Amino acid sequence: MTTLSLTVNGRQVSTDIDPRLNLADFLRERLSLKGTHLGCEHGACGACTVLMDGMPIRSCITMAASCDGVEITTVEGYDGDKLMARLRKAFREEHALQCGYCTPGMLATAYDIVSRLDRPDENEIRAELAGCVCRCTGYRGIVRAIERCIAEKSA
Amino acid sequence: MKAPPLEFHKPDTVEAAIAVLADSGGSARILAGGQSLVPMLNLRVAYAKTLVDIGAIRELAAIEDAGGYIRLGAGVSHARIEDGEADGHCSGMLRHVARNIAYRAVRNRGTVGGSLAHADPAADWPVAMIALGADVEVSGSNGNRKLSVEEFMVDVFTTALQEDEILTGICVPKASPDLLWSFQKMRKKSGAFGEAIAAVVHDPESGFCRVVAGSSAIGGPHRLAVLETALQEGAVDDGAIQDALTQTIGSLGRYEMQIHTVCLRRAIEEVRT
Amino acid sequence: MAMNETGIGASILRREDARFLEGKGRFIGDIEIPGMLDVAFLRSPLAHACISFIDTPDDVADRVFTAADLSDVKLVQPASKVPGHRIVAAPPMASDRARYVGEIVAACVAPTRAEAEDLVERLAPDFEMLPVVASMDDALSENAPRLFDEWDSNVSMETGFDSGIEEIVASAPVKVTRVLDMARQAMVPLEGKGVVAFWNERDDQLVVYSSTQSPHQIRTALCEALGLQQRQIRVIAPDVGGGFGYKAILHPEEIIVAALALKTGRPLRWLEDRFEHLTAGANAREHRYEMTAYADDRGRVLAIDAKLTTDGGAYSVWPHTNGFDAIQASGILTGPYDIGGYRVRTQTVVTNKPPLSPYRAVARPGACFAIECTMDAVARAVGRDPAEVRLDNLVKPEAMPYKAITGKEYDSGDYPACLRRAMEMVAEGPKTPAPGRLLGTGYAIYTEHTAVSTSTISHIGIPMMPGFEQAAALMQPDGSLELRVGVQSHGQGMETTMAQIANQVLGIEPDRVVLRHGDTGLSPFSTGTYASRAIVMTGGAVAAACDKIAVKLREIAAHLMQCQPSAVRLENGLLKGPSATMTIAEAAETWHFRPYELPEDVLRDGLEVTGGYRPDGDKGPFAYAAHAATVSVDPELGTVELLDYVAVDDCGTRVNPMIVDGQVLGGVVQGIGTGLFEESPFDDQGQPLATTFADYLLPTAAETPMIRLDHSETQSPYTRFGVKGVGEGGAIAPPAAVVNAINDALRPLGAELCAVPATPQRVLRAIFVAEDRAKADMETSQ
Repeated sequence: MTTLSLTVNGRQVSTDIDPRLNLADFLRERLSLKGTHLGCEHGACGACTVLMDGMPIRSCITMAASCDGVEITTVEGYDGDKLMARLRKAFREEHALQCGYCTPGMLATAYDIVSRLDRPDENEIRAELAGCVCRCTGYRGIVRAIERCIAEKSA
Repeated sequence: MKAPPLEFHKPDTVEAAIAVLADSGGSARILAGGQSLVPMLNLRVAYAKTLVDIGAIRELAAIEDAGGYIRLGAGVSHARIEDGEADGHCSGMLRHVARNIAYRAVRNRGTVGGSLAHADPAADWPVAMIALGADVEVSGSNGNRKLSVEEFMVDVFTTALQEDEILTGICVPKASPDLLWSFQKMRKKSGAFGEAIAAVVHDPESGFCRVVAGSSAIGGPHRLAVLETALQEGAVDDGAIQDALTQTIGSLGRYEMQIHTVCLRRAIEEVRT
Repeated sequence: MAMNETGIGASILRREDARFLEGKGRFIGDIEIPGMLDVAFLRSPLAHACISFIDTPDDVADRVFTAADLSDVKLVQPASKVPGHRIVAAPPMASDRARYVGEIVAACVAPTRAEAEDLVERLAPDFEMLPVVASMDDALSENAPRLFDEWDSNVSMETGFDSGIEEIVASAPVKVTRVLDMARQAMVPLEGKGVVAFWNERDDQLVVYSSTQSPHQIRTALCEALGLQQRQIRVIAPDVGGGFGYKAILHPEEIIVAALALKTGRPLRWLEDRFEHLTAGANAREHRYEMTAYADDRGRVLAIDAKLTTDGGAYSVWPHTNGFDAIQASGILTGPYDIGGYRVRTQTVVTNKPPLSPYRAVARPGACFAIECTMDAVARAVGRDPAEVRLDNLVKPEAMPYKAITGKEYDSGDYPACLRRAMEMVAEGPKTPAPGRLLGTGYAIYTEHTAVSTSTISHIGIPMMPGFEQAAALMQPDGSLELRVGVQSHGQGMETTMAQIANQVLGIEPDRVVLRHGDTGLSPFSTGTYASRAIVMTGGAVAAACDKIAVKLREIAAHLMQCQPSAVRLENGLLKGPSATMTIAEAAETWHFRPYELPEDVLRDGLEVTGGYRPDGDKGPFAYAAHAATVSVDPELGTVELLDYVAVDDCGTRVNPMIVDGQVLGGVVQGIGTGLFEESPFDDQGQPLATTFADYLLPTAAETPMIRLDHSETQSPYTRFGVKGVGEGGAIAPPAAVVNAINDALRPLGAELCAVPATPQRVLRAIFVAEDRAKADMETSQ
């Protein structure tokens, strides 16, 4: 067992964990935060993407024990966040989700794209999304939703 | 697909990390960003009795201007290089290489030192760092040593690191502002490892010139010294590139020969124009 | 049919989105049952092997289970009416012989998945390697090893059809022959398969949560396997993270987890991981077409002579068998064309690979790839534009309904207009390649039998009879409406579209309608969500149930308004009589809470009804589409960039155009995957070579352009509201359109590609072949 102390969605968590646990399983199985999804467990599909200290990371290939002292934001942790509210609205209106399985990782990635980059064009948005697989939508709605939030940002 | 049982250490100094490595008798592995190691643990194609997480060692995260070279701590993430923290020394080559590694979420965790120490033959940093003539700094129970990246990359997934040694930093020589470089990576799709990588660096001021190719198919980064001379002397045709590849690597399939030749030729052309 | 703001034809936003956007979907991996244990499987590391011994350490013997522990589980046998079709059902666990890498050999149970995997690693099985059949060619070679000792070959099924083409063969001025290969694939729903099972003593029921598209089908199979009555199993599909056919079949894990939950008395869970999916689940699409087209000198195709070989893998999946791909492909191989002669032979062979299973649009992407690449080859042979040649060959609108030579009836539509629209649109797209790149445009057009009908399936004989689809409509006392359907919505947006249909019939606001789906404990029987059938079949059933509710509401209102029921109209959710108006809620409330205001015999059979539906004449409607792609090819590296993609489809009446767009777009990108990236190769020992996403490449946003769509709406004469299915079609045309575009680009080099995915290796190989041929020609001429 290893001791882990971190902040998850604004809440301080201190607990003992099996040191082999990855962050995604820690969030899902230990904290019951089921919105973080596992799609590949080798860092290639993006479904498990969460924010660590404000930066998107793959929770499936991040050891939970490595996360001592960090701040994690999962899809459940954006209460009152204006950008996330805009993204959610845009995702719905642009039909950017179907089965919903990739959606939490897509939102975390979209959040990073809109907040980190100034005014990325369609090609840049697509390149930034390349680490996130959606098997349902064909990506058009996702790209458009992000474009819309970028346009709102600079309006 | 879950990692096998393991012990976890997170030392906050290089010395403490070395002590754990030395105590483990070879059963410990260093965990940097984990972007290659953790997938392998999850898949159970890699095993480690003990993981030594070096993420808390602050000095490994430093980027310093050290006179003739810029020193990247081994724990510097690809994303920081992408964002320009090490910029201005190699005419943007470091930034370009970083930006084209995998995806942002991977680049936020993955580190330049981890990439070199993992020694994946298809990885970008080994090719780029050899092309730039970089050295690595290594610390172990027997003290510190410095060696070139070329010497450091011993073989496919094999480096010169001893069991109790840790890669601490990468020293990238400063180049003249006129440094010419090209980094060609052919991929099957965005974010994927290169099917063929070619890097050419030429500093007309100092006469420094490197031509390097890498990929799984050719078994890692290889300097093509013949081409370095040829490039400075004049035009380099496909025949010369193919000869150089064959001499250095051995015979290649037609597809592999073609893609490496084309990447090298394009890199050379870009530098020459 | 009147359009209203929230009924059929309205792009209302999806009801289901809110929970997914908040991370509050409830998928199989999210279900927590107290005391639940995780299951991990020991799987065969060899493609063909005898299993002589599994050493189970004594201290864990009660947590390790092998085929011997499932001896009382009955094998669930798929059926087929195809003469001579040899079917071997997949055993849930291999007992003495494993026939593909990934076949389950033992199950290990532990408090966490990690610990269960630790147990798997402690087992020491003894495998004796057998000779491997790793490909179709292996299977058919002389002296090939046999998968099944009692068979005289590795051929599982052969079918054929011949309209009589000898005369055309003898006289046609143009003959074009091509061999076209479509690689094996994995389907890769982003959420893997998963099962949770436990016994519920109070309900005398085994509860099985399964990430499935077909809960009732799985219940049927599990009852057969476990010897339970249908009332004793409840199958619940929670939110399902993509299906694509992978979750429309019975999986061995469903049987094992259910059986072991009974045996151990513990809630058990298995969640497929990606490694399991890409190895044991590499089960889709491996076809080879040997096509010969006979045409006149304008490219009018007179006859097609084809041979189709499919790699059926080791066993037959339930319920489709391994023959479904060959049957579907050979039944539609002449495409949307008016072709007078057709001969086809199909052969489905068994190999040491995972059992072939139906993937989105089952076999139609292969058939479309074959006929559409052949069409381009014909056009090249006669020196005409491929799109023009297609226009000459397409079934004309005035010929509808058109009886194809395959016996299928194309019910409606204007195929040439559809193609012309795609031609117009792609002509407006990008046309400038980067320096050194070659530009090409390609087309593909298809027609697709959606909502496959009872007669079609009964002809094949597999145990999956669509029959009548049912829907229950439960009018609540407050006038809100609960719909219960046996299909499962996993991205199709049925929680929204079924509410729109209720709105169309009853005028009830979609917000006052809820859809319960995917739960055998709640809904009427259904064979599930597959074959682009839900909007046709379930939509029709929901409408039928709502019709019944409407009659009842009008009867209540008539009593309250003192008029004849025929004088009451139902409009915009209001019941309007000659002299008064009331809401649905008032009528429902009166019947439930103030029955004394009504005569005692009003609606003795209540306000909860079941409606049934089947299209007129049991005919599944034919949807169709024309696609066009523009690519840029790097002729030195073989890389292909997709610059533009357009799709013009006709799925009849669109219930929710936004959702239709989404279905088409998603299908197109999956088809682009088939065309450019996705492949599950095996080596000559049957070892899967693409076991992670580093090797199994999926299209992402960066590989796809902003796909452009257009639609026409030709209503089907046979379905309620004139709808046709749309769930699968997008995936059919892209492999053909993309390869035709690549071949258009490669034309200056004299190279032609005849296989997908069009990886750089395949593109360069095609170029090398052309280079070598040119060199040889030159040498000969010198």
